[in-house]
Parts: sequence; structure tokens; C-alpha cells
Amino acid sequence: MSGKEFYQNRYQQLGYTLQEVKLRQAIRINNTNAKGKKIIERLASLGVHLEKIPFLQSGYWVVDSKVSAGATAEYLLGLYSIQEAAAQIPVSLFSDLKGKKVLDCAAAPGGKTVQLADIMENTGGIVALDVDKRRLAALGNHLERCHVANAVVYLLDARQAPTLGIKFDRVLVDAPCSGNYAADRDWFKNRTQKDIERNAAAQREILTKAVECLSDHGELVYSTCSLEPEEDELNMDWAIKQLNVEIQEIDCYGNSGLTNVFGKQLDSSVARCKRIWPGETQGFFVCKLKRSKTQ
Amino acid sequence: MKARAVTNFVAQFGIDIALNPELTVEKNGRFYLVNAALKPLMVRSDFFYAGVFLGKAKEGKFFPSFNLLSIIAKKDAARIVVGSKAAWLFICGRPILAKSVLRVFGSGKKNTHVLVLNEFGECLGFGRIVGNLRDKGAMDEIAVRNVSDVGDFLRRER
Repeated sequence: MSGKEFYQNRYQQLGYTLQEVKLRQAIRINNTNAKGKKIIERLASLGVHLEKIPFLQSGYWVVDSKVSAGATAEYLLGLYSIQEAAAQIPVSLFSDLKGKKVLDCAAAPGGKTVQLADIMENTGGIVALDVDKRRLAALGNHLERCHVANAVVYLLDARQAPTLGIKFDRVLVDAPCSGNYAADRDWFKNRTQKDIERNAAAQREILTKAVECLSDHGELVYSTCSLEPEEDELNMDWAIKQLNVEIQEIDCYGNSGLTNVFGKQLDSSVARCKRIWPGETQGFFVCKLKRSKTQ
Repeated sequence: MKARAVTNFVAQFGIDIALNPELTVEKNGRFYLVNAALKPLMVRSDFFYAGVFLGKAKEGKFFPSFNLLSIIAKKDAARIVVGSKAAWLFICGRPILAKSVLRVFGSGKKNTHVLVLNEFGECLGFGRIVGNLRDKGAMDEIAVRNVSDVGDFLRRER
């Protein structure tokens, strides 16, 4: 069970007609570093023209650029990061991050870790985990370039996070996932249902351990860049039944989560999740969880 | 004094920095400055990165991070300010010509290290003074050799 036609049919059943998508490059201003620096004007003077992304606080599309947006002095000085538009959403869903203890479960290459630090204005502390040593080097470079001062990074599988013995106020599970065709040209060739089921199972394991690390009144944001309901709505339906968590209302770009997946009726609160079909952005799924009040 | 490599390096720029030994940590020759909020989260000694990376010591030589250079650039460190074209060339690994130097802070003596700042006051790296920064007759000559610049972030990931 794989191939473009198979997934095209699947998506059709979920209400989406497959379309070719040309992803637009997006950047996110690192406000802590760029404060008072007229970054938009500086980039314009270099020939990098931006357009505000309406659903993001600090995100801009690169409309036109005479130079590589990833090779300007402003980029190298950490005044902005290159970060796909939908990927900027998960961190923006946390409330009141300043001074908090935050766990970033699968952090490399660090775009969201830097975004967390930026919103936190380098207060509090972030524990960033990743299981891939090579990707940690990229994460370290990203933290140094963006002058992050409040993160500690461990080479650690997120499933081992409870061994740290810390209860976190905010937990980000940007889960390793199957990805989506808009961000990977060969996606249809490379992915099978088996991969998706394996990833979904790993995500449930990560989520279980991440919830263990969450303080009583903490917030957990779960996201994937997968369009497959096994990794998204079905996992969330499982989580609210197995992990004593509730899905919170969120106000962000995207459609309501699916509550009927291939004939299976899910808990109505799964509609509070947001599913982003490829179009303006890549494909994405995001939701926010809190511990259930009735445990 | 585990952070002596850091303070000795900084002293070359004519300033002192006080590093709280409780908050300065070394891991495999790499130095980090952490804050009081982060320290309680450092429950394992096998961290990969923590707080502000200050630089690394290798074979008796200290290689500063760009975070450290930025910190000392905000103090009264020996530094030069260069024009936009020279700033870009410097990031590409090139030296600074005397005619590109807009301002000099510090002694400007030959064979000393100097931070290189752009017109916005942002630290792009540092170099070694090899020419006379103030000699109007040597404007087309190399004044500062590039030692390290932020373009390194791109070069590292190649």
C-alpha cells in the first residue's frame, strides 16, 4: 500500500484533493536579537523583499531575493531564521513562556528551540533532546548563531525524558514523522503504510513519556508535518483515552481536526486540533494538550 | 581556574570579564556560561551544549565563539568599524584594507587582535592588525588579517 494514487485516494476520502504545491521560503524574525534593528528595511536594501505572513506574529514570506536569504550578514548574526511557515505555528501556541521550564522532545536542527528561546527572551530554561548525534551539531550551530542562552542539549531519546526527573511547565513534541509530499519530492515513492504505522507507534511512545514529564498545570503541544491521520487525529484520539489529557482549543491557521477517519468516529474534541493541508504552507498537524481535570 | 583560557583570550582585547565559576562549565574543552535558571535543569553531566557557548580550547589554543566576541564587543574592547562592502568581504574570509576602516577603538597596534564590527555595531569576527590603521598613505594596504568571522556558520555545514 503505497504510491501516489493510493495516497491521492486516501486524501480524497479525507476531503482533500491532491494539488501540486510550490513551497514559499519563509523566515522568522528573532525579535530578541533584532529589536530596534530595522531588519525588514535592512533586508530590503540587500534585495530581499518580504511579505508578512498574516497568521504568524514574526513570520514573513520571501517574495523576491537577489541574494540567498541563508547567507546574509543579518542571518549569520542571528537576526532571523529560515523556518517554514507552518513550522512556526507549534511554538506560538504556548501561553506565557517567559521564565518557564520547557522540554523540546525532538529538537534538532533547532528551528523551534530557537523560536522558544526567542519568545522566552532567554529567560527560564529549555531542555532540548535529540537522538541523532550528527543533527546535534546543526542544533549547536543554530543556538550559537542565534545567541540562545537558556538551553541545555542532550543526546537522548525523548522516550528517556522521564529519567531526567524534571517536571516541565511546557513540553513540545514536534514528533519525528513520515513528512508530507509538499516538502519531499520523492515522498510518494519512498513512503508506505508500514512506515506510517511504525512512526505512529513511536509517536505514541514519545507522547506517553512526554506527558509523564508534564507538570500538573502544564501545556503540551504536539505537532507533525505528516498528513496521515494515524500520526495525527488517530494518535490524539488514542492520547485522550489513554493518557488522561484533554485537547485544548487553539486559535491558529488550519482546518479543524478530522473526527471521522475512514469511517471511524473519533472523540469530538479532536476537532480542536488543526490540520493544515498543503497549499499556502507544507502539510502540518498541531494540537495542544493539558492534563485532564478529571483524573 | 577552568575559565582561564577564556579570560586570557579576552584580555588580548584590553578588557577583563568576570566569569562566575559556579556558572562557567567546561565539557570536552568547550566552555559554556549558564544562568541560574538553567543550572537546575542540567541534571546530567553528559550534555552536548548548554547556555552561552564561549569557545573551545584545543592543543593549548583558544577558539572563541561568536557569542563571546559579541559579549566583549559590547564592552570597551579593541575594535574597528568597517564599511558595508568591507564587512561583506570580511564575512567571506577576506582581510580588511586600511581604507575600509571607519573608526578605531583601542591602541590599533600591529600584531594585536581587534574585533571587526559593521556600521550597525554588530560583531562580525576578529582579526590581527598587520598594517597601520591610521596611515593615510597606506589606504590600499591590508590592515587587518581575518582570523575568524561569522561566515564560519556557513562553512561549518558544508
